[in-house]
Amino acid sequence: MSSGAKFLITLFSFGMIVVSFLIGWWAKKKATTAESYFGSTGLFGPFIVGLSSMAAVASAFALVGIPGILYSTGNPMTYWMLSSAAFAMAYIILGKKVRAMAEVGTVASLGDIADLRYNNHRGIKIIMSTIIFIGSIAYLASQIKAGSELFSHLLGLSPMVAGFVIFGILILYTALSGEVGGVLTQAFQGLVMVVAGIIIIIAFFTTTGGFGSVLDAVATAGTVTDGEIVKEFNAGFLDAWGIMPGSVAATWMLIPILGTVGQPQVLTRMYALKDPRDMPRLGLYASISHMIVGFMAVVVAYGAMYLVAKGLIPPLANPDTAIFAFADHLGLYAQLFVYAAILAAAMSTASMFLTLSANIIARDLPSALGFKISSEKQINTSRIFIFVIGILSIIFSLTSDSMVAILGSFGWGTLMSATFPVFIIGLLWDRATSEGVFSGLVVSLILNVVSLILERRGFSWPGGMPWYVNVITAAILVTVVVSFFTKGATGEDLDERVKMVIDL
Amino acid sequence: MNFKGKTTSMVILATVLWVIFTICGWTGHHIVGMVLGVVLMLIHMMLGAAKKGTLDKKFFIYPLLIWAILWAASFILSDYHSRIFGQSMPSFTILGFHPSFAWTVLTYWIGGMLTLNVGFVLFKDLWLSDEDWDNFKRSLEEVNQKKEVS
Repeated sequence: MSSGAKFLITLFSFGMIVVSFLIGWWAKKKATTAESYFGSTGLFGPFIVGLSSMAAVASAFALVGIPGILYSTGNPMTYWMLSSAAFAMAYIILGKKVRAMAEVGTVASLGDIADLRYNNHRGIKIIMSTIIFIGSIAYLASQIKAGSELFSHLLGLSPMVAGFVIFGILILYTALSGEVGGVLTQAFQGLVMVVAGIIIIIAFFTTTGGFGSVLDAVATAGTVTDGEIVKEFNAGFLDAWGIMPGSVAATWMLIPILGTVGQPQVLTRMYALKDPRDMPRLGLYASISHMIVGFMAVVVAYGAMYLVAKGLIPPLANPDTAIFAFADHLGLYAQLFVYAAILAAAMSTASMFLTLSANIIARDLPSALGFKISSEKQINTSRIFIFVIGILSIIFSLTSDSMVAILGSFGWGTLMSATFPVFIIGLLWDRATSEGVFSGLVVSLILNVVSLILERRGFSWPGGMPWYVNVITAAILVTVVVSFFTKGATGEDLDERVKMVIDL
Repeated sequence: MNFKGKTTSMVILATVLWVIFTICGWTGHHIVGMVLGVVLMLIHMMLGAAKKGTLDKKFFIYPLLIWAILWAASFILSDYHSRIFGQSMPSFTILGFHPSFAWTVLTYWIGGMLTLNVGFVLFKDLWLSDEDWDNFKRSLEEVNQKKEVS
């Protein structure tokens, strides 16, 4: 890549960071109460919340890792990337109930909703917060690593310098403006991703001639080699199942779709919406923006396959470079938008999980342990923790590859295993007891750790099934079964107002 | 559709479906698992959209049931065309896509997104009307006042 191109990419990306900072700086005047700072509760309309939700869900992995998986294994992963219907489904299932909980009491975090639903059950709040914290740090570390390494590679800087410049600015505006700035900057970053998506999708069709041409090229290419690098192509590679076991395709369909309703970045945005009657429009905006960004991830993978199959570029030594290989072939305009989109994806997800993890430490865990702290003190403490967690995450993610890899196992499925018993079962079923949900969470925590250990030792589940499906199923099963034999937070013990929410 | 009193049965059914889905994954019956996964998602949406245990029939039929049929058909057709062509070049394409993958794009992605979102927007009052929300807030206020007095 020429130095001029590098300069323009840096300028373009840095411009996005500066605009994000200015938005965060402006937003700090709105972050005056615990509800606004920690939750943006009832503050925004469907367009802002929709873009913000999509941007927080679509991480750097979605734009870099997923095209790599598609390039390596064919189409099963498209079930995950094309799961745009998931937003409408999430809001139909839980949107009005989560938003209504914000009318029952002070709701600034997921822990507050758990408190209201389960009569301040400490065990539920502690374990749920612990699992979400682990998942948040995992997401945060992987975003920092992806964003820092991308720009260190581009500019020839040390990853630590790139990390501190990009994510140092992010830490600053996140600490100042909390979730208010978080939602607004994520919406802006989501918009950058959508614009990039539209440009890359158009470029894909003009460059390759469309999906028919890619299928032709892949079906006839056979084996493509470059030194020791070998890429096998055949037409079956581009059927719905690719070369993965069918159970993986099934998992990559169900878990992202039903799991979206259990992701903190979606749940917390439900109560950020000003008017719950706007929930259908929120679903529409989130889905449309997700369609564009999700499709971008698919077309860059198809674009890379086409270029390799046609012999226009050599087979990729590292599949995760598929998006860069395609952008490099397209030229400077594509490089500008691809780098900006990846940075936007990393920053939006990082800021979401940074505030979430700091809020857990500064607010949810102390209250679960019985410490009463004023709102003002909570905000100040959270600001300190945003700095501490942010800086430690930069250092940790860029110095410990093995730990980032281990933590990387705790992602979407882990978060879902913690939130499904508490919110989805708990707000749909008035007979879900506090003991049942607590038991489900304990099982989730234990099995997440055990599965991680088993996976690290090379254990593979029958059928090639990803491990987190077993954990989620076990947590749900235990929650429901134990609820039949216990009574906590149900019947007379269930707050009348919460019962009204469940019935809404 | 009134399923008041049947919520517990639906939650049990959903739990059983989670277990069956997992077993289907272990044993390689992924199409059965995917179709049952659609039923699982449908149950959750029925529970979420219901008001006091009652789901409007119109909302159930469109968007929910139409979406479920669309997705179940999508997975079955993807598998059907995958089996027909195996590793060889398909004898036809659908809009340029491998016929097996075309259903992922047309029915799972675009069809699913449009069906759920358009239905949700068009029939939003059947999910939550202004009256429902106002009544909820009024009842909440009454309960809060009662609590303050007591």
